[in-house]
Amino acid sequence: MDLLTALDALFVEFEQALAGAASLESLEALRVDALGRKGRLARIMSRLPELAAQARPAAGQKANSVKERCTALFEERANALLAARESAALKRFDPTLPGRTPWRGSLHPTTLITEEICAVFTAMGFDIVSGPEVEHDYYNFEALNMPAAHPARDMQDTLYITGQMLLRTHTSPVQVRSMLVRRPPLSVIAPGKVYRRDSDVTHTPMFHQIEGLVVGNLINFAHLRGTLTTFVCAVFGSRTKVRFRPSFFPFTEPSAEVDISCSLCGGTGHVAGGPCRVCKATGWVEILGCGMVDPTVFAAVDYPDSVSGFAFGMGVERVAMIRYGINDLRMFFENDTRFLTQFVRG
Amino acid sequence: MLLSLSWLREFTPYEGSPEALGDRLTMLGLEMEDIVRPYRDISDIVVGHVVACAPHPESDHLHVCRVDAGLEEALDIVCGAPNVADDQKVPVALVGTRLPDGTAIKKAKLRGAPSFGMICSERELGFSDSRDGIMVLPQECQVGARLVDAIALDTEVLDISVTPNRADCLSILGLARETALAFDLPLHIADLQLVEDPTEQQVLIDIQSPDLCRLYAGRVIAGVSIVPAPMRVRHRLHAHGVRSISNIVDATNYILLECGQPLHAFDLDRLEGGRIVVKRAGNGEKITTLDGQERILARDDLCICDARRAVALAGVMGGLNSEITEQSRTVFLESAVFKPEAVRKTSRRLGLSSEASYRFERGIDQQRSIFSLNRACAMIATFSGGRVLRGVACAHPTPFIPARITYRPARANALLGIELSREFNEKSLLDIGCAVEKSAAESWLVSQPSWRPDITREADLIEEVGRLYGLDAIPSLPLPVLRDGGQGGQSLHAFWSRVKHWAAGLGLNEAVNYSFVGHKDLDHLGLPEQGRVSVLNPLSAEQDVLRTALAPGLLQTLRNNLAQGAHGLRIFELAYSFEAASAGIGDTGVCVCETGKLAVLLYGARYDAVWPYIEADADYADIKGIVEHLLHFLRLPPPVVCAQRDAPACLLPCVDVRCNGEEIGQIGRLKPALAEPFHACKDVWLAELNLDRLRALHDKIVMRFAPLPVYPPVRRDITVIAGHSLHAGKVLAHLANLKNPLLVESVLTDVFEPEGQDVPEGERRLTFRLTFRHPDRTLKDAEVDRERENVANSLKQSLGVRI
Repeated sequence: MDLLTALDALFVEFEQALAGAASLESLEALRVDALGRKGRLARIMSRLPELAAQARPAAGQKANSVKERCTALFEERANALLAARESAALKRFDPTLPGRTPWRGSLHPTTLITEEICAVFTAMGFDIVSGPEVEHDYYNFEALNMPAAHPARDMQDTLYITGQMLLRTHTSPVQVRSMLVRRPPLSVIAPGKVYRRDSDVTHTPMFHQIEGLVVGNLINFAHLRGTLTTFVCAVFGSRTKVRFRPSFFPFTEPSAEVDISCSLCGGTGHVAGGPCRVCKATGWVEILGCGMVDPTVFAAVDYPDSVSGFAFGMGVERVAMIRYGINDLRMFFENDTRFLTQFVRG
Repeated sequence: MLLSLSWLREFTPYEGSPEALGDRLTMLGLEMEDIVRPYRDISDIVVGHVVACAPHPESDHLHVCRVDAGLEEALDIVCGAPNVADDQKVPVALVGTRLPDGTAIKKAKLRGAPSFGMICSERELGFSDSRDGIMVLPQECQVGARLVDAIALDTEVLDISVTPNRADCLSILGLARETALAFDLPLHIADLQLVEDPTEQQVLIDIQSPDLCRLYAGRVIAGVSIVPAPMRVRHRLHAHGVRSISNIVDATNYILLECGQPLHAFDLDRLEGGRIVVKRAGNGEKITTLDGQERILARDDLCICDARRAVALAGVMGGLNSEITEQSRTVFLESAVFKPEAVRKTSRRLGLSSEASYRFERGIDQQRSIFSLNRACAMIATFSGGRVLRGVACAHPTPFIPARITYRPARANALLGIELSREFNEKSLLDIGCAVEKSAAESWLVSQPSWRPDITREADLIEEVGRLYGLDAIPSLPLPVLRDGGQGGQSLHAFWSRVKHWAAGLGLNEAVNYSFVGHKDLDHLGLPEQGRVSVLNPLSAEQDVLRTALAPGLLQTLRNNLAQGAHGLRIFELAYSFEAASAGIGDTGVCVCETGKLAVLLYGARYDAVWPYIEADADYADIKGIVEHLLHFLRLPPPVVCAQRDAPACLLPCVDVRCNGEEIGQIGRLKPALAEPFHACKDVWLAELNLDRLRALHDKIVMRFAPLPVYPPVRRDITVIAGHSLHAGKVLAHLANLKNPLLVESVLTDVFEPEGQDVPEGERRLTFRLTFRHPDRTLKDAEVDRERENVANSLKQSLGVRI
């Protein structure tokens, strides 16, 4: 067979072989066999010197043309096989199988609420501070205008370590500690754990509070209202109504309790014809205590008469219960993961 | 404090609803907690007239009564009470009525006699425990009227929460004063006429501890007979939660509630020597109080004594030895004012709180003590037929002197943030009972009302003015920007917060456990006893010590979750652990060390889902990986670990974790035997790290960029064959110590433990991937092979391993 005929035969055979190849692998084998470096085309062309010199360019062109056509055929066939393979693979693909999800973590609701509240206040320029949980009677009571025989001590049943050392009953001692290490003006917020000797359906012996303190010249009750109203709107929504009602704390005067309109009944006091269980049909929910810093407290930290300030404190669990609709305080400390995993910050 | 609306109306003509009153008082700082309707259950009971009463023909104790209950026809009612009689006015439960205990009254036949209702006893109506038969009503009661109206029961009672500063509001009179103030109504105190007997009383008062007793007064009522108090008084006390005892005691309680002055009645015939001595107790002296308890007294307890012995604990409770009994004929009625702190101290020390001590602790209106005494005497005379002897026995060591307070209207405006007129200021102060001397335009002299012990300073007056203006009416102002004197920088809270977010992001669930556990929980884990901080007055033995480690809490959490059927648990907690500082716990300062800790607990299934994971339980690599990840997160070098030989009791293995040469905590597996009480049947892996140290290390780190290498790395594997005792870390440490500038990284890629008879016991193969790189040029293969060979030789020589 002369060289040119052999080239033609190569193409025809290649075409036939391709048609019979069922896999990409056999296809590739055919390609190598025909067009590879040591393949049949190469072997045919190795006979080029047999030809007369003037016939060689034509033979070369023919070889190139056969190679191009073979390659085109190969690619067409390979693409077809590839497409068939992909479509077959796609048929087996089940997009609904579960993903390889990493562990799902969560933050405790008291952490979420504490951070949310702190963020509101830091945006207003407050500094976050902390203090010890085992406190001296002086910081927890004395310096806050609650001397030993003060009936207000009955409001907070105390867990003692010694006669003078105790588990802080509120975050208010951080007020005193902050004022002792800073000079006015100051605005601080102190989140943390507090302890009371109390345990029933609505009380746990440990819970979380956030304390706030602002001291400066010309700070007045209107600033207190403005600050806490901003806070309530940020945390409970801008349509929440706020009510300031006179109350008593030994370390503030005037003192007030802040009530917000009940989110369950919308402040009407009634749900579905019955009394609202969250606000006990009053339409209001008590959310925090506050007041203007009592002059006795300023005297205890040696601040001048000319300053004034306000302080406030709130229970974190209480806020969390209202925000998330949690109805049992004890759940916070049972750490059932079915409870914990419900709280993630998106 | 319970406040009956009808009692209130005896002092001020408030005509509104209980709800409106409660709302208004709440906004004045006297929070209404509830509206109690104590007689709601008996509101259907009517007054009946027994027009005929005959013995039941078939019974020896029943009566068949003909009762006019205001209906068209009189009713036949069978009654079993022995005291039922003709012409009585009685409470009747008609057919269809339900009694407080739930009994529904139906038509009935008793031994053949039909009965259309029931004549009720006090017991059945919930007034008392009396078993003296049916209740007989005053003749003036109107037939057919509702019982609650006929005998004017206190049907609407407000439950007011009184804050500790408002001693004055622990009485009907005080709350009436606030009501009058709130609604601009007059306050009217009706006089009870006291008629004195010409005989003079002879009791002597001797106050030997004048520092603890400001006023002591008393009167003598002779010729009393002890009977129950009139029904009206008994019912009123009942509506206010006070048990009726006798006419004398009921009168003292009535005045206590009405005027806020605690009173105590002694049987004068039982007071030896006919005199009263007020003095401190002898140390260890004993007295049996009215509740029958023997109390051992201390030096600072104030006692009321007769010539020989203590007869009452001043301000707290009377003594059994001088109480009024049915035989009492002569009463000495005490009205006194004791030092609040002293009463509180005794009451707290003995764990004995009474209506009296509660009020004495908060402060008594001394100016009204004699008034209240006289009022009670007038009542007792009426109730008991006694004669009030002439004169008041009285000693008055500390007369009330009102505080005189400088008040600056401008200061009130500055503190409240509003512009109040001088007129408003003045009216408010006068309304609350102050005397106002406008001595200067800018600064007034204001006198304290005797009933307001809480008003002694300008701030107290400003609060009153603000309260009357309405704190809720003060406008809101934005907080001016304050230049805070704070230190700035990374706060503790921010650091903890970032670690919490890291842990949650990693996939751990945050737990919060109590800071206290039981000593036995710490004992169980073999944690040292030294340095524990005990709670002096714990709620229970489960909470009697502050935790020295977070593990007990997390194990409790594990138990809770396993009880709920959890298969795997991955939890963390950030909290303080508490230890007594070496100085011990003193009374002088904070000597308890609070150390911030992070604890992680892994248990059971590594993944919650099965597919596409391979099912496996969490192991050491998981917990260690978490610690490694944290150090990376805090930009710290990888941890250096070392298994503890003398491990503490609870963990096995127990691995010490160090970072930058500092000990930062431990990782380990809870000993299976210790895990049993938590119902853990799989491995419990724990890590507990010192957050304070991590924070300190982290704060020193400055984040710096390292230039990227230009030339390609070349990798070579090397497999070390050695016994188990050669730890991977030792090989890695050796490689690092070579300080070969071309060897930039060594990583363990495989651990293989071959089996077979020709393999020596305990042999394993550790494969490390070595990465070589030259900073300035591309390394040649031969060069790298030579370096690998050097490394291999050095390992052989130094560690005695095969390659």
